[in-house]
Amino acid sequence: MEALNGWWDDYLLASVTVAKVFVCSLILMVIFGLLGASAKLSSNRLANAVGNAYTVFFRGTPEILVILLLYFGSAVSLTTIARVFDPSVAFVDIPPFWAGSIAIALVVGSYATETFRGAFNGVKSGSIEAARALGMNGLQTFFYIRIPEMWRIALPPFGNHMLSLIKDTALISIIGLNETLFVAKQAASTTGKPFTMYIVVGLIYLGFSTAITISVLLLEALANRHIQRRPS
Amino acid sequence: MNIGIVFDAIPRMLSGIVMTFQLLLLSLAIGTMIAVLLLLMRISGRWWLSWPAQFYTYVFRGTPILVQIFIVYYGLPQFEWIRESIFWPILRDPFGCAILALSLNTGAYLSEIFRGGVLAVERGLLEAGAALGMSATHRFIYITTPLAIRIALPAYGNEVISLMKSTALASTITLVDMTGIGRTIVAETFAPYQVFLSLAIVYVAITWIIQRSVKRLEVYLGRSTAR
Repeated sequence: MEALNGWWDDYLLASVTVAKVFVCSLILMVIFGLLGASAKLSSNRLANAVGNAYTVFFRGTPEILVILLLYFGSAVSLTTIARVFDPSVAFVDIPPFWAGSIAIALVVGSYATETFRGAFNGVKSGSIEAARALGMNGLQTFFYIRIPEMWRIALPPFGNHMLSLIKDTALISIIGLNETLFVAKQAASTTGKPFTMYIVVGLIYLGFSTAITISVLLLEALANRHIQRRPS
Repeated sequence: MNIGIVFDAIPRMLSGIVMTFQLLLLSLAIGTMIAVLLLLMRISGRWWLSWPAQFYTYVFRGTPILVQIFIVYYGLPQFEWIRESIFWPILRDPFGCAILALSLNTGAYLSEIFRGGVLAVERGLLEAGAALGMSATHRFIYITTPLAIRIALPAYGNEVISLMKSTALASTITLVDMTGIGRTIVAETFAPYQVFLSLAIVYVAITWIIQRSVKRLEVYLGRSTAR
């Protein structure tokens, strides 16, 4: 345990990085998921094809490959473009933070696409008809009826997507992001205590996923508070 | 962009497909056994069996698989007694470590899937079995198991796919699977688009094959209930 002295601050900073990646990729994931779901639900053939290609590709490709593709691919493109202006440029890349966040958001977003689509279709047609019968217009029906019902259906799988995101952040260390696994690698080679160092990373992630699980449970209770049966 | 690299790279990467499938099938087999054991522990109704199983699932599902691989491969040799134990020949070898980590991980996920299947079996059928005088063990083997397998199969197929995707992480501990070879080729040619994109297509194709086979199996197992 004393081997950890002097590394706590590194782990703390790295955990903050993990949290930052998580928040950024979560926002992007929701955007990608909503775009994908709208593409798949639209009546436009082209949008359908794009939506399907998106989910098939990203659900079938290992996350690590997407990260490598985005990071090294963008680096090659950017370097080529930069050399047009200044031939002495050696290497330009997107920061690993952003390449990684976008990559994991794309992957998990493809799963979220199916969740959002399923939730949209899962809203009972009776509820929509009832809203119409009450004289609500399209927008009102969407915001007051569809969104709250979708939210209840999508929340449990959405929680799982958040857990996938937090665990995928560990992969970004492969392209050199200074996060917990990266710190553990340095700490292990300096102190010669790899087990201790990597276990700390495991505990950090366990903490993150526990916090997410608990928040999702609380959100579910909040979302379902009206339909909870009261003990009579 | 030089497309010729693709034709050069694909055969080289495909030579790693054997490694990918070895990792997938071996850890799937061991993981399934772990999952069955965990399932039996959880539904045993004895807290001293059920709690450890729950704790195991919580830990392995709550941490990234990459961290688990690193703990097994880089972490365990820290201890003298592990280096002197009979397991050292497995733990010294990156292949053994990858199999161990992948099996332990997928076992946790699969046990949850199996549990979902077992809990979804209709109570009435079990009561009918009891009324016919079947013992609890007989009911479990002849009623619960076949139905639970049918219910859990789609989720099992998804887990096989995510396990297949996780095998790509074995390249981080020096194993030369398809991803490992792809990374070597990119380091040589610096053509990430051609190499990684064609590799991604190979993975998508494998995913598609797994999906199709599971669908086939679903139809086959559901043949008695299909109208």
